[in-house]
Amino acid sequence: MFSTFSRFMKCYPTKDLIASLHRLCTVDYSYRKPTMTFLQFFREKCSHIQENPIKISKKKDKKPESDDELPISLKKRRKRAVSSSSEDSELNNIEKLDVKKKAKTVLNKVKSLTKFSDLPSSNETSSNGKLEIQKLSVLATSEDATEFSNQGLYNPCKQNYHPIQDATWKKGENIPYLALAKTLELIEETSSRLKMIEILANYFRSVFLLSPDDLLCSVYLCLNQLAPAYVGLELGVGEGIIIKAIAQATGRAPEKVKSDIAIKGDVGLVAEASKGTQRTLSMFKPASLTVNGVFTKLTEIAEMTGNSSQMKKVDKIHGLLVAAKQLEARFITRSLAGKLRIGLAEQSLLQALAFAAAVTPPNQSTPPTQLNCFAGLSSEAVKAKVEASAVILKTAYCQCPSYDRIIPVLLREGVEALPLHCSLTPGVPLKPMLACPTRGVGEVLQKFESSKFTCEWKYDGERAQIHLLENGEVRIYSRNQENNTSKYPDIISRFQSWINPSTSVHSAILDSEAVAWDIEKKQILPFQILSTRKRKDAVEADIKVQVCVYAFDLLYLNGESLVQMPLAERRQRLWNSFHKVCGQFDFATSRDPQTVEEIEEFLDESLKGNCEGLMVKGLVKDATYEIAKRSKNWLKLKKDYLDGVGDTIDAVVIGGYLGRGKRTGLYGGFLLACYDETNEEYQSLCKIGTGFSDEDFLTHSNFLKDHKISKPKPYYRYDQTLSPDHWFEPVQVWEIKCADLSISPVHRAAIGNIDPDKGISLRFPRFIRIRTDKNPDNATSSEQIADLYRSQEQVKNKKNCEDEEAVVSLSARMVSMGVDLPTLHAKLFRLLMGTNDSVVAGSTKRQDQVEEIRSDQLDSTGEFEVAVVVPDNFL
Amino acid sequence: MFEARLLQGSLLKKVMDALKDLLNEAAWDCTDAGIQLQAMDNSHVSLVSLNLRAEGFDKYRCDRNLSMGMNLGSMSKILKCASDKDIITIKAQDNADTVTFVFESPEQDKVSDYEMKLMNLDQEHLGIPETDYACTIKLPSSEFARICRDLSQFGESMVISCTKEGVKFSATGDIGTGNIKLAQSAKVDKEEEAVVIEMQEPVSLTFACRYLNSFTKATSLSKSVQLSMSPEVPLVVEYKIEDIGHVRYYLAPKIEDEEAA
Repeated sequence: MFSTFSRFMKCYPTKDLIASLHRLCTVDYSYRKPTMTFLQFFREKCSHIQENPIKISKKKDKKPESDDELPISLKKRRKRAVSSSSEDSELNNIEKLDVKKKAKTVLNKVKSLTKFSDLPSSNETSSNGKLEIQKLSVLATSEDATEFSNQGLYNPCKQNYHPIQDATWKKGENIPYLALAKTLELIEETSSRLKMIEILANYFRSVFLLSPDDLLCSVYLCLNQLAPAYVGLELGVGEGIIIKAIAQATGRAPEKVKSDIAIKGDVGLVAEASKGTQRTLSMFKPASLTVNGVFTKLTEIAEMTGNSSQMKKVDKIHGLLVAAKQLEARFITRSLAGKLRIGLAEQSLLQALAFAAAVTPPNQSTPPTQLNCFAGLSSEAVKAKVEASAVILKTAYCQCPSYDRIIPVLLREGVEALPLHCSLTPGVPLKPMLACPTRGVGEVLQKFESSKFTCEWKYDGERAQIHLLENGEVRIYSRNQENNTSKYPDIISRFQSWINPSTSVHSAILDSEAVAWDIEKKQILPFQILSTRKRKDAVEADIKVQVCVYAFDLLYLNGESLVQMPLAERRQRLWNSFHKVCGQFDFATSRDPQTVEEIEEFLDESLKGNCEGLMVKGLVKDATYEIAKRSKNWLKLKKDYLDGVGDTIDAVVIGGYLGRGKRTGLYGGFLLACYDETNEEYQSLCKIGTGFSDEDFLTHSNFLKDHKISKPKPYYRYDQTLSPDHWFEPVQVWEIKCADLSISPVHRAAIGNIDPDKGISLRFPRFIRIRTDKNPDNATSSEQIADLYRSQEQVKNKKNCEDEEAVVSLSARMVSMGVDLPTLHAKLFRLLMGTNDSVVAGSTKRQDQVEEIRSDQLDSTGEFEVAVVVPDNFL
Repeated sequence: MFEARLLQGSLLKKVMDALKDLLNEAAWDCTDAGIQLQAMDNSHVSLVSLNLRAEGFDKYRCDRNLSMGMNLGSMSKILKCASDKDIITIKAQDNADTVTFVFESPEQDKVSDYEMKLMNLDQEHLGIPETDYACTIKLPSSEFARICRDLSQFGESMVISCTKEGVKFSATGDIGTGNIKLAQSAKVDKEEEAVVIEMQEPVSLTFACRYLNSFTKATSLSKSVQLSMSPEVPLVVEYKIEDIGHVRYYLAPKIEDEEAA
């Protein structure tokens, strides 16, 4: 081969040759190795003769390096630029001028306030009486300054905040969005939760008294929601749209905005800064934003659908941003991006609302008499009062998680009236009770010590809250209160048949798990199968994946809320009111074990039954349904939490996703791959973002930064949708643990091995440590991944089942052929030990045989035909 | 009745090019003195002011003051149908909701007319006061276009600094920096090719390149361009249109970045 190249070399200039060789390396991976070898050889031989080809290769190496530098060195470069220009004596005074001007800025601002208005108005158009003449007024910044003196001083953080005097708006007016933005900013700056609550409560107090109509939108904006979760109204605004809008509204280039976001890690701050650096002409100042206005606009954006809705969304956002003043831009974009990031959890908001309602009751006649109920009360009394109202409010919210219903009642009748008007109602999803993870069986016994508890299989499906309304309508809500009714038309149509005919059930709320079900084999299928169902508007006739509902709790029955009852009682009612329908509806398999051994045995059973593990629940004591809480009263025992289950996998890091928020400037997630020996390529295996300490993130980011490459290696196999922000050379191996392996349409590990077009991916991967002792080629191979997948409990079960059936059918045939029992047993033994290869030829073949025998069974009178092809050497 | 006949139809086409980058729609205000248009871009950062005096037209008639809201995209489509040598006439009835464009070929052998729907634009008219600026810089318009194009490769904003000695345009960005200095020209053979600086005090302001580049779409209207600056107020970029009027662009400066200063 080298001689061919040598001949080539004579005809072509060296530079061209090397360049084309390089191209060859990158274009087709299969050429890589030989060409690389040749390149090396070539360089060694020729570098001294010809114009230095090494230079070219250097250039190539350097490229990604300079890319690395870019964001960090921006500042430096700017400074350098300035200093270089200041060398120029001619223009030196300009630099000085800058300094001088700085000192003058304040003066200028004041001046410019009056500058234009002092001048006589132009007579260019004054002949036209109809046209209203307005002066080209000052720059927006200075006008902003005046406006800030009116509104910007809003400070809900103030000591002894007066809800009327300290508000920047008057009674009945729409609340300026700036006031809310200011409140949010103050909350963002505080790390103390109590302080946050106080700030927000002060804002709410003003809202109560001055503009109660804006309370609902204020609450939603603080939570970054548009409607109760079960309505399912989403903004549907991607970062791309926001970037586009920011770029348009501030005259910047979208790429720059994007790179700024990568540096700052927050769209809001970038929007604010972008807005802050570009003045606007303030001739027609867009009207100031109001809380109500912003909320309405956001809702409009969310409701836009169909043709060119993206364009319209950009326009709307653009309009909002143009009208936004600096601080407002930050929170508007954050609202749009879906993350407010002020550290205010929903619970804190409820606390603040309760606090506000306790201090300044919202349901007062005008003029308000009680501005501060706490004046003169001791701190204990205050605390007790706040706590009392918080409990009422939070309970009401849990039972009826809809501000649309709570807020009007709160405003009209006060906190005390909430339990009367807002209680558990079928049709309004409540937040489900959640369980705490445990590390082992021992922990379970420790927790429940003497009290009675029960264990239930933890099904690997989707949580389904089934509501039966008084009018007979059935609705299904997900874990996050999304309306899933249209996803499960099959459940809806069957629901009535599950009700125990001897009882009358006219309204109910069931807590259950919907699990994919194999009708033929009568067994549970893994979650991946369930997730292939159509998500919305499924038609019953088209449904391929059948589901079985496993009910485990009853929260509401015939107009009565059961959440305060112990589980034993609720479960009894559940069992009484409904009955099992095979393959459609069942109660969660449960047992009330006493000892560690019993629990372990039950856990094993559950795993064999294709479940994730066990749920352990108190039966009598601490056994109420605690809505929305990750309560210690429910524990989950999952196989991957248990030590010793699941092998670790060694994977190679090939890409990094830029971090947000706390992880700004670092990588927040990574793309891992396994090595495929046959194709000599790295195949994407999973994304990983958990299991790292803050320190880990720092060290990984610093290490990997030096191995960044501008584009993926040609021997990386991945799906476009997974493209990370930065690619890395394959240099480091990480040891990771995972819960499960599953077939994935996007990952490429072991593609073609298990499934022709799909790879394998890990579920819930966690980082364990760096494997310094392994190099990337020694990482877990795709073959091993495929083996791991095959050996998984769930998959094994499926196989075992097939094997069993095959054996049963074969023995039946053998009996019918007159084989005597001892021989049969011996044969079967050999078969099961795997010594008879011909039988274990392939599951598909066996399945065919089983099918045939089945049909025969139906036809004849219990006797088997020998028509089935039996492997010759078997008998 | 409004009617304006322009012998040089290409002029209107050029004016259109100068507007449509920044504005989607605008109101054309017609009085017996001429046609005026003023509008801000939708980000409220820049303003375009167009003035075409009545005497610049071959024939001009405006019985009643008229404000015609037009979609500039549609108008530009219509004007594309006119060839450069055509004579263009704009016609509208009083209180009509359409405007008619008539294109006549110079030989009068082809006449085409297009009617366009008007829009209801709720815009206030702004009187822009004549101001004394601290610096005015006159330079060839093609030179200015070149500078804006070249520097916008470096950064998204451009600093224009004006001193007695000259004017400096500079931009900084990821790939490096660019500086262009123009000195007052000594020779004044051709007036439109000269760089003339009048200055009371030195000024340095930063502007977004994107807008400046949009302004330079008016380059074909005039051989020279005049920039006027004062600290903290909008930049004015003026292109005089011979014998008939001008296009002026106003651009709010950027607030200077601490790091860059």
